[in-house]
This record gives sequence, structure tokens and C-alpha cells, in this order.
Amino acid sequence: MKIKKEKMDETIHATRTKMDHLALAYKEAPWRTQRKWVVLFLLGTISVGMVAGIYLNVTSRAALAGRKVQVLEAEIADAQRGNADLETKLAELLSTKTMLERAQAMGFVPTAPEDVDFMVIPGYFPPQSVEMASSNVSRHSPALDPRFSQSLFGWFDEKMQKAAAR
Amino acid sequence: MKQQYQWRSLLLSGLLGIISVAIIFQMVRIQTSPQAASLRDQGDMYQGEYQTIYPPRGEIYDRNGHLLAGNKTVYEVGVNLGELRNPQTIALALNVALGMDAAQVITLLTQAPASQSYAYLKDYVPADKIAELENLKDQFDAQDTGGENVPSLAGLTFKPHLARSYPENDLASNLLGFVSREDRGYYGVEEKYNDLLAGQPKLVWIPSDPNLAEQMPEVPGGSNLILTVDREIQATVENILDTTLAATGAENGTIIVMDPKTGEILAMTSSPRLDLNEFWKFNEIYPNGAEFNRAISTQYEPGSVFKVMTMATALDTGTVAPTTPFFDPGYYEIGGAYIHNWDGGAWGAQDMVGCLQHSLNVCLSWVADEVGTNNFYNYMQRFGLGRPTGIDLAGEASGRLKLPGDDDWYQVDLGTNSFGQGVAVTPIQMVMAASAVANDGKMVIPHVVKSIVTNDRQYNTPTQIAGTPISAQTARTLSEMLAQSLERGEGVAKVPGYRLVGKTGTAQIPGPGGYLEGVTNASFVGWGPIDNPQFLVYVWLEKPQTSEWASQVAAPVFQRIVERLVVLMGIPPDSIREVVAGQ
Repeated sequence: MKIKKEKMDETIHATRTKMDHLALAYKEAPWRTQRKWVVLFLLGTISVGMVAGIYLNVTSRAALAGRKVQVLEAEIADAQRGNADLETKLAELLSTKTMLERAQAMGFVPTAPEDVDFMVIPGYFPPQSVEMASSNVSRHSPALDPRFSQSLFGWFDEKMQKAAAR
Repeated sequence: MKQQYQWRSLLLSGLLGIISVAIIFQMVRIQTSPQAASLRDQGDMYQGEYQTIYPPRGEIYDRNGHLLAGNKTVYEVGVNLGELRNPQTIALALNVALGMDAAQVITLLTQAPASQSYAYLKDYVPADKIAELENLKDQFDAQDTGGENVPSLAGLTFKPHLARSYPENDLASNLLGFVSREDRGYYGVEEKYNDLLAGQPKLVWIPSDPNLAEQMPEVPGGSNLILTVDREIQATVENILDTTLAATGAENGTIIVMDPKTGEILAMTSSPRLDLNEFWKFNEIYPNGAEFNRAISTQYEPGSVFKVMTMATALDTGTVAPTTPFFDPGYYEIGGAYIHNWDGGAWGAQDMVGCLQHSLNVCLSWVADEVGTNNFYNYMQRFGLGRPTGIDLAGEASGRLKLPGDDDWYQVDLGTNSFGQGVAVTPIQMVMAASAVANDGKMVIPHVVKSIVTNDRQYNTPTQIAGTPISAQTARTLSEMLAQSLERGEGVAKVPGYRLVGKTGTAQIPGPGGYLEGVTNASFVGWGPIDNPQFLVYVWLEKPQTSEWASQVAAPVFQRIVERLVVLMGIPPDSIREVVAGQ
């Protein structure tokens, strides 16, 4: 009975020794652990750098676009004022007083009723009231490019739908 | 040893903890302090600004699309105080270019509070003056060596904006009105349609940070108006009025030309006129605001042109017919007073056409008496007298028609009213009333706006009938009577080839102690051609000097206007129209 127990202890000891050797054999080397941490740190740093880079890129592009919007708004206002100026200038050049002076300078005189000859032109109708509405022209401002407002999910969804439609 | 480190660690942690809490506490305290709010406000000032975007004021065109009121770029001149280098140079430049007081400019620039970043100097500066200043600024910039006392216009800024401009200057000024520096319309169309023309201003946040820049919200411009006025007719009428005033020595004058079928005003003018680009001279020219447009705002006793309404009433009620005889003894007693003719004479046997032709007060007083008080005043009210016509112009007066029952009405008023004395009307009221006779009994409301163009849509204003005070038959009969009386007369209101209708009116002018001696109001109302009236002309001359009689001063004006109207409106003579109608 005693002999049996000793044998069993020896077996257990042998097994433990084997396992210790095995664990030692598979234990990570210290330099390997350090490298793993360095890699993880670098990965984190690169990720943060990439996010920061993308953020900076988007921000700078947004700033440039914003600046462009401001410039375009100013140009639109300038153009509108320019149009108004030109229209008024044209009206000044064609005003009754100016036209009368020009006509008189060219030797024209007002027509007397007895000097007017009337002709009957079948099918002719004199022009009626002036039409100033340009209803066929849209005055709505162009829609903002979807790239400036679309979410990533929205973009993905659109691409998927387009792909499905093909 | 281990114990020693433990104590040190605890002490250090405690200290750092206390410092952290103190820092956080201080941060919260600073963030919530009143000074922080003030600093935040100051910071917000540089983040951008709220700007009220005023849409461009709507333009006004004549019926053929000629611009009568538009917009023009003007500039606000100011100084960015942060960039200011030499206040003396700026003061001198503004003194030379804009006539500003140099000392005042220097004071404004040097004594501005530290918190002020911009100094306003002048607004509504025209573009040519700004070009001069910009040129000067460029020259100084080119010569700038960066020294201390170098001449420099650095900081001087010009902010452009639109302001009202009238390319025709004083043309149709009485009718258009004007726009003040506060962008508010005064008088005429500008005031009546101010809300439509001005549009809806919007308060918009304009960020300085381009990251926050957004598309500006669309601010729809004011509506454009197309008037019924014809620029050529208006200019012609104004020219005739100016020459008439010079020739007759009349104190003032008013002329209205209207399409009697639609109520469209083709021309409307009164003296004096105002160059609308110099509206600040308003107070010099018009001591009384009601004189800006006498055609609608000044009421007067019209005199014998009123007989048209009296005769229309009598014909419509069947009281008289064109051939009804009347013996004129030279006076007519009514309400205990005697009515006399304009010449004080007795004209003997007449018919109704003769009464109109010779403009007999005695006859028309008898006619009104025969019509009856109630009938007479009912008809006068149906003709729209004593209340505004509703013309779409600001500042219309209502006139005064005394009615039986009023404290100041007496029976004699029936007699005097019949020939246009003792009743106050505006020229536009007379035009509207006369339109009933010219337009087969249908009285039209006069209007000056033909179309409103808004959001790319054009809305045309329809003809509005104010009522039918008389029948079509009465209107035609009376037109024929007036045409005959005009033809039988001396002919100063005749135009060869065209059969016209007209009536003169010479009225005494009431003063503080009764009627004034030797001065009159001379009027004329007429229309044509009789078979298809296309124009109705009203002329009013105040206190003409060459003659006190309308037949001598007002009737020729009607003739001159019609001579031009038939050409400008392309109205063929009666003979041609008859041929065309017969085809």
C-alpha cells in the first residue's frame, strides 16, 4: 500500500516537471512583450494621428468652402447691384428728356395729327400691356451638393441602391 | 522603508487632489463670473454680426416698360479704427471729395471710445465720389514707406448698398412720390405700395469664421409695379402744363388724362414738380404737403364743369330733355337769394344745349330746383362727390359736399352747387364723375397701377366700376349735348377731324371774407372721340393772369393735349374710323 502511494507521487511529480518545462518552453520572452506594447502604442498613435489628419483635412476644406461661399455671396451682391446700376443708367440714357434732345438735334419735330397717315393692316393687333414676368425662369437657388450634407450611411445607402438598380 | 514611501505617496496624492479641486473650482468660478459673460460677449462680437438684409426695392415702370423708379449703388463711408493710421489725411480727403467738415471728422476718429471698432462718417455717397477716394487711397498706398506720419487713407472703408433712383428726374413726380433715406415711401405710388415695393427684410447672422459660413437665405426682392401711365403722354402733358403756366401766369396747374373705360390714368401732373433724386428739397417746394399732388389732394370749387353732373341728373330723372325750353331773365331766386349769370346778363330763350353752351348759372339753378333737393344730392353722392375716389395713390382728399341737414347747408346751396360753387372737389373726383358720362353711365375708379410683378408672376389689376349713377341713354344724350355746345362755341377746344365733348368751368375763389375779386379757377373737362371715348382730359389752372375765363385759358390747353394724344395713342380721325368700322 505504501509502495503504491510512493509510485503515484513520483508520477505526479514527473508530470508536474514536464508541465513546468512545457510552460517555460512556451513562456513569452520579455523582449516579445515589450515589442507588443510598443506596437500597440504605435498603433494608437497612428490612429489618433490619422483621425487628427482627417479632421484637419475636413476642417480646412470646410473652411475653404466656407470662404468660397462668402466670396460668392459678395459677388452675387455685387452683380445684383451692378445689374441695378446698369438698368438705371440705361433708363437715364433713354429718358424722355435725353431722347427729346437727341431727336431735336437730329432735326425731328413732333408730328401734327394731319400729317399722320393711317393704314389698315388686316390681322394686325397692336401690342397690349407689357409682360414683365419671367415665369419660365426659376429663381430658386441651386441645391447644395449632397457631398456637403450627406452622411456616410446615406452615401453607402445610395451606392447600394444604385448597385441594386443595375 | 515601504511605510515611508506609502506616507509620501499619500501626501503627494492629497496635495495634487487639493490642487486639482482648487483648479476646477476656480475654472467654474471664472466661467460663471459676470466678467466672463462680458468677455464672452466681447468675443461674440468678433464671431460675426447680425445683418438686416434689405431686399432691393421693387422697380416702377410705365405701361410700356420704361423704368420710372429704379435702384442705384451708393456707399456708406466709414473708418475701421483698428486700421486707422492718419486721421488728418482722411479728414482732408473727405473734406475735398465730400465737403465734410475736417475738424469734425478728426474729432470723430480720434475721440472714439476704445471699445468702438468702426466709425460711421457719411452715407448715400455716389459712386463717382467713391471712385475719387479709392483712386486717392491707391496713390497713398503706392507711396507708403511705412513711416509714422506718412499720408494714408488706411482704414477708410466704403460699404455699398442700393438706394432709390429716378432716371426721369421730375417726370411724373407728383404721382410717383419718393423714398426717404430710411427706405420708406412718401406720397403717391411709393407710399401707397410701400409694403409691396420694400419687400420683407430679414435678420441674418453673418459669421466671420468661414467654418460657420452658410448659404445666405434668399430674401425675395420687392414687387415691381407697372403703371398705367404712358411716359410719352406724361412728358407731353407736363410740357404743355409748363408752357401754359408760363404763358397764362397761372399760379398753379393740374392736368389728368384718363382712359374713361378702364379708369387707367395715362398722365397726371400738377405744379410744381419735384426732382425725386433731390427729395430733400420737398419742404422748400411744398410748404403744404397737400400741394404735392394737387390732382388728388387739393380741393377747390370747380365752377361750371360741375354743370355736367347737374344736367346729367336732370336728364336721368326725366326733369328736362335737350330741347326743353328755358327763358333766362338774368336771375333766379332760390332760398331767398338771387343767382346771376357769369356776365350778369339775361340770355332770353334757350334750350338745354344753349344753357350748357353759354354756361348759364340761372338756367342750371332752375334745373337743379326742378330736379329737387333730395334727387339732386342723391345723384351727387352717386357720382362719388364728397368722398375719396379710392385711387391707388397716397394722400387723397375727400372734398366736401354739403348735404341737406348739415349745419351749414342752406337752400341757396342747391342753386350755387348746381354750377359748381359752394362745393369742394378734387380734380380726380371730377374725372371719376365725368367718366360716367363718357362711359355709357358706368363710373370707373381711377387707378395708376396696371400690374404687380411678384415672384415672377404678373397680376393685372382689373377695371373697377364704382357705380352706374346714370343710364347709358342719359350719358349718350348728354355727351351729344356737350359736343354740340362745344361745336357751336368759338372753337378753341376743337381738333379738326375729331368730334370731342367738353365743358369749361370758371369759378370764383372763396376767401376769408367771401369770394376774392379778380381771380378765378379755370377748368375744362372733355373727352373723345365721342363715339368711342379713349381719353378723358381734365385741366385746372389756378388764378390765370392773362384771362380769368376758362374758355380762353383752359380750353386751349385741352385742344393742345388732344392734338398730341391722338398722335401718341394712334387714334385715327373720325372719318377713317367710320370707314374701318364699316368694313
